[in-house]
Amino acid sequence: MKSFFSRFWNGYKEYIVVVVLLVISLVLLSLSTNPAIKRVKTYAFGGFAVITSGVSKVIEPFQTAFETKRLREANAQLMMQVNRLREYGIQNEELKKLLALKDSSEYPLIAASVVSKFVSNSQGCFIINTGNNEGVQLGMPVINDQGLVGVVISVSKDFSIIRTLNNSELKFAVKNQRSKFDGVMEWNGTDLVIKNVPKTFDMEIGDRIVTSDFSTKFPPSIPVGVVAGGNRDKTGIFNNIVVRPYVDFIKVSNVFVIGFVPSVQKNNLELNLIRMNK
Amino acid sequence: MRSDYIFAVLLFIPLAVIQLTLVPWLSYNQVGPDLILILLVFYTLRVGQLGGTILGFIFGLAFDLISGTILGSAMFTKTLSGFLTGYFYNENKVEQNIHSLSLLLIVFLIGTVDSIIYSFFGNTNTGSTSILIMFFMQGLLPGLYSSVLALPLVVFYTKKMFA
Repeated sequence: MKSFFSRFWNGYKEYIVVVVLLVISLVLLSLSTNPAIKRVKTYAFGGFAVITSGVSKVIEPFQTAFETKRLREANAQLMMQVNRLREYGIQNEELKKLLALKDSSEYPLIAASVVSKFVSNSQGCFIINTGNNEGVQLGMPVINDQGLVGVVISVSKDFSIIRTLNNSELKFAVKNQRSKFDGVMEWNGTDLVIKNVPKTFDMEIGDRIVTSDFSTKFPPSIPVGVVAGGNRDKTGIFNNIVVRPYVDFIKVSNVFVIGFVPSVQKNNLELNLIRMNK
Repeated sequence: MRSDYIFAVLLFIPLAVIQLTLVPWLSYNQVGPDLILILLVFYTLRVGQLGGTILGFIFGLAFDLISGTILGSAMFTKTLSGFLTGYFYNENKVEQNIHSLSLLLIVFLIGTVDSIIYSFFGNTNTGSTSILIMFFMQGLLPGLYSSVLALPLVVFYTKKMFA
């Protein structure tokens, strides 16, 4: 019996090992949302991010040169816009007072630098150099001067992991700023798409897409991207609208975490509604 | 042999740092080289299929933990990549495989398979993009990019051999 097992092992050990290791991988894949595993990951990336943040500091001057040129241009454009918006702001304040609306547009911003990036077709992730100590919490949105970057999915003392828009796990509500139509946006592996938009909806190439008022993850009206096209399936009644993001994920080096915590109350109310409908 | 494993694990750390800090700057349209895969292929061709499979598992686990991606995804693909690379292992042709252009070809083939399998974790694009375009963008290009990055390794070792 023993010699049988010995012969079996010697003959097939490569296959046995690969099957066992692949099964372990798949088990861990299914347990990836387990709190204990998340805690282990938090310690691991927190430890390693110390090294990557050191390297990032070394290459920062090269990044800054690109960034400065782009920011100068953006600054000039923004200056023009600010003047216009200031006028609108005054009008808006007056109208709000008239309607007695609560101002919900201001959230604290926590500045951070990207210390490591994982570029992938399906799992875009950044690690930034702010964490619990600076007040970052799970679920907080992350932006830069161009628009929405992603959401915080894991936080250690000094570092946080950001799930970027280039990650198929991130789905959120968006709105066409011109036509006011809402939809759910996700990354499909190659493009950012608003899925299953009825063909009768008014969507045009170049329309600005922003986060929706219905979003439980993000505050409303954060710029996301512009409509770049859509599939024109003649048979179906829905379109998938392709959106080109404002943010260049390869070049992002400085971001802001918005001190906005997703509303648990709102989420619970929506879940109750779903349960009641079932 | 044991020193090969130790060197592989030690080399993993600086390469992972480069992969997460410098490689994004070399990437275009989410396509970039995979330095961890080059290391894995290189050492699998030295230590064989069993060792390569185990190294792939260790590299994948470590990379999943430090990069913030879904735990298990890189583990799965790197384990499989180590196993597949093992088919190119030949005890009598170790030096020939590592110090010649065949290393680039192996990196290209394994890199393509690795990228395609990795893109399955999270790719929901069904129907709207041609399967050929997806194969090209998410398989062939990353594989090609990785094999180009493996070129200095071949040049370095070939020069060393003839020195």
